[in-house]
Amino acid sequence: MTTDTSVNRETKAIAGFLRSTPARVIKVAVLLAILLFVPPLIDNPYVTRIFISAMMLGVMAAIYDLMIGYAGLVNFGYAGFIAVGAYTSALGEFHYGISPWLGLFFGGVLSAFLGFLLGVITLRLRGLYVALMTFFVGEAIRFSISNTPEFTRGMLGLSVAPFPDVFGIDFGRSNLYAYYYLLLVLTAVIMGFMWWLVKSRYGLAFEALREDQLATQSLGLNTTKYKLYNFTIASFLAGVMGAFYAHYLGILSPSPEEFGVYRTVEILSITYIGGRGTLWGSLFSGFLLIGFQEYFRGIGPWRLVIFGALLVFVMLFARRGLAGLKKYLW
Amino acid sequence: MDYSLLLEPAILSEVLVLGLERGAMYALMASGLSLIFGIMGVKNFSHGELFMLGGYVMFYVTMVLDLPWPIGVAAAALVLLVVGMLIERTLIETLRRRAGRDWQLDAFVLTIGMLVIMQNLALIFFGTERRGVSDLIEGTFVLGPLLVSYERLMIVGVAAAAGLALWAFIRFTSLGKAIRAASQDPHAAQTLGIDIQRIYTVSFGIGAALAGLAGGLLISIYPAHPTVGFQPVIKSIACVILGGLGYVPGAIIAAMLLGIIEAYATFFMSGGWQNVMTPALVVLILIFRPSGLFSSSKVDRA
Amino acid sequence: MALEIRSVVAGYTREVQILNGMSVSAADGKVTLLLGPNGAGKSTLLKTIYGYLSPEAGEILNDGKSLVGLKPKDMLREGIAYLIQGHSVFIRMTVEENLELGGWIMRNDKARMKDAFERLYARYPRLKEKRRLAAGVLSGGEQRMLEIARLTMTGPKTLLLDEPSVGLMPKLVDEVYEEIARLKEERYTILIVDQNVKKAIGIADYVYALALGENRYEGPRDEIAQRLDEIVKEWI
Repeated sequence: MTTDTSVNRETKAIAGFLRSTPARVIKVAVLLAILLFVPPLIDNPYVTRIFISAMMLGVMAAIYDLMIGYAGLVNFGYAGFIAVGAYTSALGEFHYGISPWLGLFFGGVLSAFLGFLLGVITLRLRGLYVALMTFFVGEAIRFSISNTPEFTRGMLGLSVAPFPDVFGIDFGRSNLYAYYYLLLVLTAVIMGFMWWLVKSRYGLAFEALREDQLATQSLGLNTTKYKLYNFTIASFLAGVMGAFYAHYLGILSPSPEEFGVYRTVEILSITYIGGRGTLWGSLFSGFLLIGFQEYFRGIGPWRLVIFGALLVFVMLFARRGLAGLKKYLW
Repeated sequence: MDYSLLLEPAILSEVLVLGLERGAMYALMASGLSLIFGIMGVKNFSHGELFMLGGYVMFYVTMVLDLPWPIGVAAAALVLLVVGMLIERTLIETLRRRAGRDWQLDAFVLTIGMLVIMQNLALIFFGTERRGVSDLIEGTFVLGPLLVSYERLMIVGVAAAAGLALWAFIRFTSLGKAIRAASQDPHAAQTLGIDIQRIYTVSFGIGAALAGLAGGLLISIYPAHPTVGFQPVIKSIACVILGGLGYVPGAIIAAMLLGIIEAYATFFMSGGWQNVMTPALVVLILIFRPSGLFSSSKVDRA
Repeated sequence: MALEIRSVVAGYTREVQILNGMSVSAADGKVTLLLGPNGAGKSTLLKTIYGYLSPEAGEILNDGKSLVGLKPKDMLREGIAYLIQGHSVFIRMTVEENLELGGWIMRNDKARMKDAFERLYARYPRLKEKRRLAAGVLSGGEQRMLEIARLTMTGPKTLLLDEPSVGLMPKLVDEVYEEIARLKEERYTILIVDQNVKKAIGIADYVYALALGENRYEGPRDEIAQRLDEIVKEWI
């Protein structure tokens, strides 16, 4: 009996410590250290590439979460927005010699512009219309790219220049670490910005949007305006990530797997499985799912079956996603 | 592009039949989608995979069991009726109970998960090989300069018959009337003792059966393979929007129109631009007439 | 025997209960009126009786049989019909189809169905004239008549009426109340909620005044009618 209680007390004490502020600081530091040092320590290009894919898709999913989790907007043409960012930067460099560093920004701006236009048109409509509209816009973008091979090289594939060197850092394609740390900086900035955004008064408005549209309207919040902010900002960030994607990957083609439904479904699944309305859940789930996909490459299509089953399971039985596990870990 | 072909009646009519055939497929798919949407408010994104399953059933019945094609088509419809009802009863009903107010949007995401699962299971069990059945019926109908294969006529005919049967079912049977009532005012229908849950299950089953029928019927043109449903589902979603969300007759008209326009576009337009045409058309409709081309009902605005 | 609601607690979420131990009894063949300001829980009570909400506590008895746990779709079989607030005709279906759906639970009993149609068409000749028209083209008053007629297709014992006169022109309100008076003569048990207090109290036998999900006053019609001004003043 006595040993039992003392064990109990001990576990409680540990649990209590795990939730305390110093413990959280330590946990953040550990995670950061893993992200900073694990790839160079393992020093295996394959692992570094997986880290890059996982983080890239994780951030894209977190941006997706900004829309779905904080304003209830399903952007079902999301891959099209990423394509706009990617092709803007890539074509800007290819045809007009614009530096890819500026391309990151221009890619975001063009995507944001598209998001803004689309937002003005659709956001006064019900959720499902937004999903349908964005879906068809995404398809139209993809087909337009594949139909203009003189300019975009279409399905032949567009080869994209790497980022030029800055501050003496070599951004040649062989220097994966440069891309990895650039992505880490981008991730930190984007995640930090979104985290600040959802904590700000805009964030509160977003949350109200998701919770109850009628109540929000009766409180006098202009729902369409906040949705438009949300949608435009998310589109900008998606464009930036698209531009990074283009220069990292080196070759673009408007296939459904890369910039079509399949990519959107992949990102959407990461978001839903990570848990909507958490931002960090998406990043976490990006690492988990991309790692899982890579690890199980051997089982072929079964991993996609499991991927789909996981999405169905989350929709039906674990509606808070992986973030629902947070209380055991954080 | 050779415009002189436009003056050739034989070619024009042949393309017209191609268009009718394509339209018939879109109509079968779109009417099911629209029915499900009108009653449940759910956009079934896995509808193309139901089409695919129909194709495999058809292949199995005609090529493996060596039975005549009408049995194959009927089997495709029946199997999918059961599959559809099972999907509704298990997955969608569970979601509806658990997701609360905004379950329709979540159901859309759920059907995306179903799409991924079904497509990859098909890949695992059936491989990438295209399994077609050619020449369901042989022979060609000749009338002056006009040449139309009997198979094409059969496809259009069977689709029309299925459409008529659906119409008669919805119009005259008591279950059909209950379905209409539930789509107009689910709350009121419930007070009259109509079991909404059952209406949902039946409607989803019928929608799935129509997709299965389409998959079986069109197997000579769209041989069964894991991703065969992709184009049909996108096109039929477009038809549902063009016809007015949830308005079945509108979806059918839109499907026939789209089929015919596409047939001419493929014939007379170069490059892949006809692929842009459909999404562009849908986007324009959504901007200027969100309630669709043929529906007078108002769109539910947020 | 009657429809008895005893100390019912119910609401849309566990945290916020709209009904806090409400008790109402609707006597057979009588008209029972529920009065109260907005938010008193009148409509919620009807919804709870009909199985849309399940009570956290309390009992709902229909002739001594508990209704708790039954679904809305089961209620007509228990002899209870419910006129929901607002429009509820199926506007894109014909008048006849609307009535037919009113008899959904007896759809397989052709003879009973035929009798019901004969009975209703004799009683509502105007609906018979327009039976092939879409219900949406009827006037507002005719639509309300159709709704009421549809309620009685299966010959229920009890009618729950939620705001039967709301949104109608004064002349039509009179018509609706004449109709309810006729139903009363035919010995239906009626539980009614209406904003039009003056009209409603005219046909009531027994009245409950409710506030914040609880009983405030109750009594025979004449008694409450005398104190009506005082009761209504309390709401403001």
